[in-house]
Amino acid sequence: MTKRLAMVLGLIVLVGALVAASAQAGHKTHKVTNVVVAGWSSGGDEDNLLQQVINVFNQTHSSVHATLQIINTNYSQAMTARFAAHNPPDVFYVDSSVIGQWQKQGVIQSLNGFINKSHYNTKKFYPKLLGAFKHGKTVYGFPKDWSPLATEVNNSMFAKAGLHAAPKTWAQLKSDAKALQQHGVAHPICLSADWARMGAFLYQNRGSLTKHLTSQANVRAVNFYVGLLKSGLAAQPSTLGVGWCGEALGKAKSAIIFEGNWVLPYMKSTFPNVHYGVTPMVKGKAQGNLAFTVSYSMAKDSQNKQAAWTLLSWLTSKKGQTIWMSKGLSLPSRSDVKAIGGRAPFLKAAPFARGWGFGNPNFNNAYTVMGNDLTAVISGSKTTQQMLSDVAKALKGQ
Amino acid sequence: MMASTSATEAVPSRPGFRSTMLGARLREAGWGYGFVLAPIGVFGLFFIYPFIYAIYISFYHWGILGKQGSAHGTFNYSNVLHDPIFHTALRNIAEYTFAVVPLELALGLSLALLINQKIRGRNFFRSSFYFPSIASSVAITTIALYIFNAQGLFNQIIGSNRAWFADASTVGWSIVGLNTWTTSGTVMIFYLAALQSIPDDVYEAAAVDATSAWRTFWRITFPLLKPAHFFCIVVFGIGALKLFDQAFIVANGASGAPNYATMVPIIYIYNEAFGNSDFGVAAAAGVIYFVIIFALTIVMRLTVGRQEPA
Amino acid sequence: MLQTVAAAEPYVPPKSRKDAVRKAMFYALMLLVALIFFTPFIWTFITAFKTLPDSVNVTSLPHPWTTSAWHRVWADSDFPTYIKNSLFLAAVIVVCNIFLAGLGGYAFARLRFPGRNLLFVLVLGTLMVPEQLRLIPIFVMMVNWGLYGHFESYILINLVTATNLFFMRQYFLTIPKDFEEAAKLDGASHFKIFWRVMLPLALPAMSALVILQFQGTWNDFFWPLILFGQGVSSHYTIQLGLQQFYGQYQSDVPAVMVGSILAILPVLVIFLAFQRYFVSGVVSSGVKG
Repeated sequence: MTKRLAMVLGLIVLVGALVAASAQAGHKTHKVTNVVVAGWSSGGDEDNLLQQVINVFNQTHSSVHATLQIINTNYSQAMTARFAAHNPPDVFYVDSSVIGQWQKQGVIQSLNGFINKSHYNTKKFYPKLLGAFKHGKTVYGFPKDWSPLATEVNNSMFAKAGLHAAPKTWAQLKSDAKALQQHGVAHPICLSADWARMGAFLYQNRGSLTKHLTSQANVRAVNFYVGLLKSGLAAQPSTLGVGWCGEALGKAKSAIIFEGNWVLPYMKSTFPNVHYGVTPMVKGKAQGNLAFTVSYSMAKDSQNKQAAWTLLSWLTSKKGQTIWMSKGLSLPSRSDVKAIGGRAPFLKAAPFARGWGFGNPNFNNAYTVMGNDLTAVISGSKTTQQMLSDVAKALKGQ
Repeated sequence: MMASTSATEAVPSRPGFRSTMLGARLREAGWGYGFVLAPIGVFGLFFIYPFIYAIYISFYHWGILGKQGSAHGTFNYSNVLHDPIFHTALRNIAEYTFAVVPLELALGLSLALLINQKIRGRNFFRSSFYFPSIASSVAITTIALYIFNAQGLFNQIIGSNRAWFADASTVGWSIVGLNTWTTSGTVMIFYLAALQSIPDDVYEAAAVDATSAWRTFWRITFPLLKPAHFFCIVVFGIGALKLFDQAFIVANGASGAPNYATMVPIIYIYNEAFGNSDFGVAAAAGVIYFVIIFALTIVMRLTVGRQEPA
Repeated sequence: MLQTVAAAEPYVPPKSRKDAVRKAMFYALMLLVALIFFTPFIWTFITAFKTLPDSVNVTSLPHPWTTSAWHRVWADSDFPTYIKNSLFLAAVIVVCNIFLAGLGGYAFARLRFPGRNLLFVLVLGTLMVPEQLRLIPIFVMMVNWGLYGHFESYILINLVTATNLFFMRQYFLTIPKDFEEAAKLDGASHFKIFWRVMLPLALPAMSALVILQFQGTWNDFFWPLILFGQGVSSHYTIQLGLQQFYGQYQSDVPAVMVGSILAILPVLVIFLAFQRYFVSGVVSSGVKG
């Protein structure tokens, strides 16, 4: 009887101890802060890579847990609505053309305090790229990557036309296109009615997107670009029946396109059998290119700013960025991270790449004017001068 | 059973005291208010109040996070009225409305006339003609974007290669065509009902006179349909002025692309709010456009008279 | 009274050869028009069964026929969620509308209370407030109330529409008063009269209302865009989801066609089953007092 009693008592004590121990253990775990990070993605591969980066972060950080939200269409409306509702993601992508507007609206958190407190070394970011997200001395985001434009050509179509190298200059561009046309390609070049492509040509003619927009240099550059379209040497994606010039390259509707880093993974996954080559962007009177970059920024309304900073600073750190660069979707924004192989044509553009929309709060608005006016110029209902003056006014916020 | 013209005149079958009748009236009023409370509440809160709130917002600088500063004035209105893009939006919607309404009415009336004959399979034809009207604008527009692609079905059949919905010079007419097609079914239903109400003697008289079908239509049927014409013009005219879905889907956003061909007032308002984060301007544009539509409706009512379908 | 389309008269055989030719041409024309009306939907259906590479051949039949696009849409995308959301919203809004439009319509038609006419003018007035004017204030209101991005916001603004209220009022006006009189004699309260007598009598009108309101909510793109368009697809309705899907997967034509079919199907099924109500409802809703 006593033995049984002792056993029961012992069992109770054992169970009690276990419960107490687990309760203790429960108390001992740290508080985990949840942060939400949002961005857009071009599709499956990029989705997975982004998730991979977040997973590594979560595995290596026990006190912060990041959840990824991919917002693909209407990013602008979605973010506007969430800012307005005071429940934005803690960390999110901001395009360099939009940061000015959102910063002005007061929805982006300044990072200076965090940088100073944690002695974060911002010197590793390429100054031009970091500068895109600064307003005066205040930093509103760290660039996560960047990409310029390059020339992509369809090697098979080139070979058929007897051409052996991609065009390097405006003159070669024209002559190559003519040769291709004679060999049966209706519209050898694919050009979008997009200042985010045409802008490079402005700089190649010694013009500028930011200063003296109505200069003769700009006029001549625009006329060259539009001239290619009007003459039939080039065509817009819609005329070719495709959604964008990358698709035109893949479907062999055009042999020459100008796109950024993003076309490489696209071609690999959608048109793996097309033989194409990448060379540096063509050159006019000078080298000229555009730099597209996106930041990780923090929301002013974030409830977990310290945790958000942990995430943000890691994502843009050498470690985080190296993982992001592993698939070569874009180029590193830090000097201590190397791009993967095959990206030389893009890297070569670095010295000549001008920021796209950097630092102008009116840029988003002006971009609508740019697009619509360029379509008008191409169809002949507006003059180049008229468009340039419209755009100049819009950039100034008029 | 009492046949009464009005419930209040009826004398209650119980011994009638004035207090009871008054009580009954009060109870009735109470129930009346109770029944309409919810609907009136909804209308007040989500129609009338927003109307006033929109006007309030339009007088301030209003950003993503709300009112910016306390400066108020008509600057937003001045902004909108002087904006060439808003002028383009007004011009586009006017051109669109004047094109689409007559076409919708013509097609709808033609279909109604066809269906109104003594034919076999009338229900089948009526359903097929009405079918496009029930499909959603998103589905129809998305399908149309593929069919009218530069290399789509339509171009393969007629041997063209125009990008109907991507080219600034053709996108307006393409949307007109699309909406004419989808709305004609509904127009047809209205005209059918109106045609049904024309007594057969009218046609018999015309037949006795050996009037040709064409003449019968123009001299007799068409004028008799006046109430339906006016009704359709008002209803479908206002519907046309509210164009948004197709313009948004075709341009894949509110940019008004290509070359502002899809820029219409509601797209303008949406873009000012969610593209430029300027809610004050967006609200002002909404008020201005409302005033325009309201004025047009009054003018139509006055010139056309209060004619309704039978 | 609900307007009904009169039944066709019995078919009379043609009397002469000229008549026969004319009749034949007439039917040919009708069939041609019907075919033109159907063609886009036929093409959509066919394309939904093509493989992605095959979809480039727009004028030919699928080669091979495949359900791969259906798998892609059903398993890989969020369309099931979109459909669920749309069904949920449509159900809630239809029920609310029947109830509230019924109550309100009956009250305006049959009950006497001071200010009835004034309130009715108010209801009329709401028809004058167009969507573009409500857009900004409703957005700001919902954000301020913390309802932005939640289903409640959409349900609240659609609880009852003036059109539906008119519609029910019209119908109640045409019901003979005898029914109410009888019920009143039996001592029924006003609510009981409404619930037990009038509402059942209004079944035809309610059926039309259910169908039209379902169609309206299911097909709605504008307000879901404004109220749920915050980038996270958990709350998307089917039309909003289809537009977003198209925006991202434009080049996957078969999948987009599957999505379009899903976006049309429920309304189509209801239409085929209840055509009568569609037609009568459309006509009656146009007759405003």
